[in-house]
Amino acid sequence: MSGTVRRPPLAVVLVAIVMLALGETAGAAMSRFKPEIQRYAATRVAANPGAHGFSGSAEYDDEVRDRAIFTAEAGLSFFHLHGEGVGLVLFFASALVAAIVPGRRARTLLYLLLGLGGLFPLGYLVYGAAVLELGRDAGIDLAEHWILTPLGVSAIAGLIGVWLAAARRRP
Amino acid sequence: MTEADSPTWRVPPRWVLLVAVLSIVAAEVGGGSMARFKVELTRWARDGMLARPAVHGLVGVRDVDERILDEALFKFDAGLRLFHMHAEGMGLVIIATSMVAATVIPSGAARRTIIALLTTGGAGYPVGYLVWSALIPSFGLERAKTIAEWLVWVPFGSATIVALWWLAGLLAWAMISRRRARPAA
Repeated sequence: MSGTVRRPPLAVVLVAIVMLALGETAGAAMSRFKPEIQRYAATRVAANPGAHGFSGSAEYDDEVRDRAIFTAEAGLSFFHLHGEGVGLVLFFASALVAAIVPGRRARTLLYLLLGLGGLFPLGYLVYGAAVLELGRDAGIDLAEHWILTPLGVSAIAGLIGVWLAAARRRP
Repeated sequence: MTEADSPTWRVPPRWVLLVAVLSIVAAEVGGGSMARFKVELTRWARDGMLARPAVHGLVGVRDVDERILDEALFKFDAGLRLFHMHAEGMGLVIIATSMVAATVIPSGAARRTIIALLTTGGAGYPVGYLVWSALIPSFGLERAKTIAEWLVWVPFGSATIVALWWLAGLLAWAMISRRRARPAA
């Protein structure tokens, strides 16, 4: 027998759709504007020589610059990949919450955790930008410590909550 | 109460779901074929490249030519892998986004246009990677990429991006309208 299936609040759906749209747009930008992005990254690295530990030796500095640009590009690439993936995870997980979690409070808590977790890919945008501004190690540390870890933990907690709700559900 | 206010899902048209599932099936078949026929595919691409030495800049010196062939074969394989990955992902994106569009957008014309753009864009875009791979032996790396880009990636990718942002805008508008309407109700 088929019936109607409840949907999650529009705000949660909006986060998922915006994340998918950002992921798609980042993928297109990476492909179409690769030289421009590399040029911009090189300019930002050159504007922050102290943060990148430039020594004045051309050979060493070139290697540091290349590594920073590569890491910033990797951040954009991770953003594309995670934007698409986490957008879908948020969509389907929140749809499950709407369909199977009975209590209003429990649903709200799970939407909140999953919604925050849905913002996880933005950490990779910060990752890419922070690497250019603060240096490779400090930039990665900032993004991981302040954005990727808390939002990732929120997503994991939300997903565990969905799993527990599904396991406790009476047939 | 409009359909957009209803707290339940609406299923998108059947053709949309069929296209999405077909995209996922094609991705699975592509992934399986890549693994099962890896040697045959590599041989086909290599033979194609050797038959057109000028296109690939082959000079007849084994050391130089092997490096060029290796790079082209790596890209050929990457195209197949990216098709596998994108077709699976975009199949799911079509299902999720068209369901949102079917549920939330009250205007029939906008809903149909967005669903059509999401479906054709989402299903068409990954095919670009197959086209790229298939054209590498005949046209070389750069020319094959340019053809795939203008024939497939740009039109189908743009359709998806436009539809996604349009959908996000309408979704945000629906939220604002409901919030405004709430105190009056």
